[in-house]
Parts: sequence; C-alpha cells; structure tokens
Amino acid sequence: MRFPALVTLLALLCAALFVLSLLVGPAGIAPGQALTALLRDEGALTMVMREIRLPRAILAVMVGASLGLSGAAMQGYLRNPLAEPGLIGVSASAALGAVIALQTGFAATFALALPLSALAAAGLAVLLILMLAGPGGSALALILAGVAISALAGALTSLVLNLSPNPFAANEIVFWMMGSLADRSFAHVLTALPVMALGWVLLASLGRGLDGLSLGEDAAASMGINLRVLRLRLVIGVACVVGAATAVAGAVGFVGLVVPHVLRPLVGARPSRLLPAAALGGAALVLAADLSVRLVLPDRDLKLGVLMAMVGAPVFLHLIWRLRRTE
Amino acid sequence: MNGLRLTDLTVPRGARLVLDGISLAVAPGEFVGLLGRNGAGKTTLLRAALGLIPFRGHSSLAALSSDARARQVAWLPQAREIAWALPVADVVALGRLAHRDRDPVAVEAALTRMGLQALRDRTATALSGGEQARVLIARALAQDTPLLLADEPVAGLDPAQQINTMQTFRALAAEGRSVVASLHDLGLAARHCTRLVALAGGRVVADGPPAEVLRPGIMAEVFGVEGAYLDTPDGPLFQPLRSLPDAAP
Repeated sequence: MRFPALVTLLALLCAALFVLSLLVGPAGIAPGQALTALLRDEGALTMVMREIRLPRAILAVMVGASLGLSGAAMQGYLRNPLAEPGLIGVSASAALGAVIALQTGFAATFALALPLSALAAAGLAVLLILMLAGPGGSALALILAGVAISALAGALTSLVLNLSPNPFAANEIVFWMMGSLADRSFAHVLTALPVMALGWVLLASLGRGLDGLSLGEDAAASMGINLRVLRLRLVIGVACVVGAATAVAGAVGFVGLVVPHVLRPLVGARPSRLLPAAALGGAALVLAADLSVRLVLPDRDLKLGVLMAMVGAPVFLHLIWRLRRTE
Repeated sequence: MNGLRLTDLTVPRGARLVLDGISLAVAPGEFVGLLGRNGAGKTTLLRAALGLIPFRGHSSLAALSSDARARQVAWLPQAREIAWALPVADVVALGRLAHRDRDPVAVEAALTRMGLQALRDRTATALSGGEQARVLIARALAQDTPLLLADEPVAGLDPAQQINTMQTFRALAAEGRSVVASLHDLGLAARHCTRLVALAGGRVVADGPPAEVLRPGIMAEVFGVEGAYLDTPDGPLFQPLRSLPDAAP
C-alpha cells in the first residue's frame, strides 16, 4: 500500500472510531440526538456529551497517539522491535507519583492533584535517567538506566501498597494502575495536552535521525546525524508523552509495542514513515479498546489497560508465531 | 578543501597509543589502500579522521561541522548493519540523508554502479551477506561525496564483485574523487590502488605506489609474510607465500 493511502486510511479509521466513541455510553442517548446535543445546548444531554464523552474520546486519541508514536520512536532508536516506551522507566515513575498521591490523600485535595503528581514523578525520573546515562549518545547506558529506574519505581510502588494501612486506598491504587479513561474531564485534557504536544513535536522531529540509525550509529553519525541531540530529544519526547499519558490514563501497555510492530511492514519498514502511521494506529487502537470496555461489560467498569493486555498479548504471540514461520 | 589531511593524529587507549602521530595527506584522484595487521589501527585511523572518536592532532574532516562533513565524506563502516527489512533502493537512498533529499538520479547511479538494479525492490535484509555489502557500498556512493572512506569494503564479496568494487573505487578516483579503503587482500591492493599506506605499531611504516610498498622488507615488517610481486602483461600481481614465524609482533 502507498504511504499516503495508508495514512489516509488510518486517519479515516480514527475519525470513525472517534464518532462511534461519542455515541456509546451508559446514558443510552440515540445517535442523532447525541450529535445534536454536542453541537447545540440541550441541557443535561449536552452536559453528558461535552463534559463526559467528548473529553474521553479526545483523551483516547491523545493517549493512543502518544503511545504509538513513542513506541515507534523507541523501536527505531534501539533498532529493536521488542522495545517499548515504558523501557526508560517513565511510565513506572509516573505511576509511582500517582500511587503516592492516592496513598497520602493528596489526590483528593483537588481534581488535578493526581495527574500533576504523576507528571512531577515522570519529570524527576527523566532527570535521573539523563544523569545516569551520561552525556554520550550510547543506547545501552540509556536502557540500563531506564531498567534501573523502572525497577526502583516498581519496588517503591509495591512498598506503598505493602504499607498501606487502609484497604480502600490500596483498592483505589490497584484499580487506578489498571489504566482507564472513564470519568475524565476537560481538565485532564488540558493538563496533558501541553506536555504531550511538546513530546509530539520532539518525537516527530526524529524521522531523519531514525532513518539514518537503520545503518548503525557510526554510519548515522557520518551522515550528519547528531546522536547526542537525537537521544536527548528522544528521552525528553518519550518522557513527555508517556508521562502525560500515564498521568491521565494510568498504565496502558502493549499499544507502544504492538502498533509499530503491526504497521512496520505496511510503511516499507522506514522508521520516519512509521512515526506518523504508529501515532494514528495507536489512536485508533485505544479508541477501539475504550469503545470495547463500554460495550463488552458495560456494568462492570472493565479497565482499558486490562482489556489491552488481554487482546495485546495474544496478538503479540500470533506475531511471534508468524515471525518464526517466515524465518 | 577536497581530499583528506591528517596532522600528527594520536589516539590513546589506556596507557597505549593505538595511533602515534600519523600525518597523511590524500589528494583528489588517489585510491589509497590502507594496510596493516588485525589490530594495527586501520579502523581507528579512519574513525578518528572522521571525528567519530576522540583524538589528539588535526583532521581536516573532524574540523568540519557535521553537516558539511557529511557532504564531504562518505563512511562505510566494517559492521554491515541494516536494522529493518527495507527495500534495497530505500537503503541506498539513505545516503541522501546527508543532503536532506532523496535525489533519484544519485540513487539510480549508485544502484547501477554496484550492479543492483535487478535487486532494487528486494528486501535488503533477506539478501546474502555479500549482496548486503554491495547495497551498503551503493548507499555510500549515493552520498556522492568527494571523499570515500571504506573499512574492509571487499571482505566477503565473491571474486567478480571484489574486482568490480575495486574498479568502481578506482573509477571514482579517476573522476577526481579520493578513496581510502582498508584492505587485507594484497593482490587486489597491488592491482587497483594508486597508493598504499601501511600501518604498524601505530605509525605509518610505508607509503607509496604499490610496487614500492609491497617489497619484501616492508611486507615482513608490516604483515610478517613473504610474498611474490610480479609485473606481468596483465598488470602487477602480488601473492603472499608464507608467514614468517620470527616476525610475529
């Protein structure tokens, strides 16, 4: 498939899923009515559409695009299809920030206390990673630093749960960590948007460098690609988008791993082309998954992260199976 | 300035000097074969000249901005890395990153020079090692620079492709470009290079036309081999005959 055709198709898919996402919900509003209420003030209906469904659909696009884009960037940088955005430890750190906010009760003090705590922790993690990985351009030091930070954040999260005196707080923490887009507001959109937008700009600028890296670090450097700048942009970009995504949606795995993997053959394996395709693909996947949690078990508050893992893991196994057969 | 000028290039590794005060100038029109044993510092010399590793002294390339350097010199590393299942033509087009374009004329010329037209739509990673090596040489040619540095470009190629590659490099030199290639095949070096530079102990121990460098004393010092250099109607031939046990480093 030609690249412009693929991008158009993915964009249309996103648009269709976005509209569907606006039409599905426990309020059971008829489709025509829902869309008119969105555009014209019709009291309670408009409230549901503008304050509940619209931010949820927008967040699904933002979170999905962030995870797909950062997954494609990480895989391109590490030249490894098993890389995923969580690898540098930002998602685990953001989760730790959120968990501490929930545990201490800070999360209840005002609406954005939780996402802001998560973002702060993600920012701290990035500083630590950049300090640990050093100023050079090496990928190995970066990954080792990320793994260490990830492990530390995971251990501290367990410690908070372990010492939690209050079973309700523990319950809340566990459910938050499963990842969800339910009950989010425009405040969440506006908190995440500036951070994510910065990350998108940084990651979108990596295309040329990632293409060059297909031939190895030496060849890329000799073609005029500054590997230090590339790595710095990658780390800050991934931290922005993944930190913000985790802050507003909790931990949603597999998108950053599976989406670039599935789309790579369709863009002729070129890393620069994979970036926009994976952003659109990620948005479509999270929109579809968030629709599914509302359709499959509408009464049970099925968590987005759980569904994604349930679907993502078998898809990934299938991919590995296919890979093995072609080798 | 085209070509390459190194002055007193020194690269330490720990307490040891891998390169110890190398001075070398390569002019347009030269195809220089860089000779030396494994570990003699050939790769280190090329990477330091490019500014990819820290060094003391001066290199005309490392002094350039990275963008200007990318338009001045193409670098073919020894490690043949193609990370993704890219089509051959796309890998070759990566050479154009240095110019921030995808100039189809340069890509086409590079594909033709390396005889890759028939393979252009094949997936590069599915090709044989030797074919991948040719794709990567074509990538460096597509960069279309006045200078090409290549680290063991003919290793792993079949005889016909070795000869084609050496002839291509010689043709580039004849066009007024410069090529510096590290080589282990002294027979190919004798026939195709305009000049040979031999490294040993971190220094240049011989520098001149093939007939002068491939002499018994130098071959014993540089490689610890004895060989036969013959001038034939088909051009010069060099064949290493036996290794000299007492000449081990």
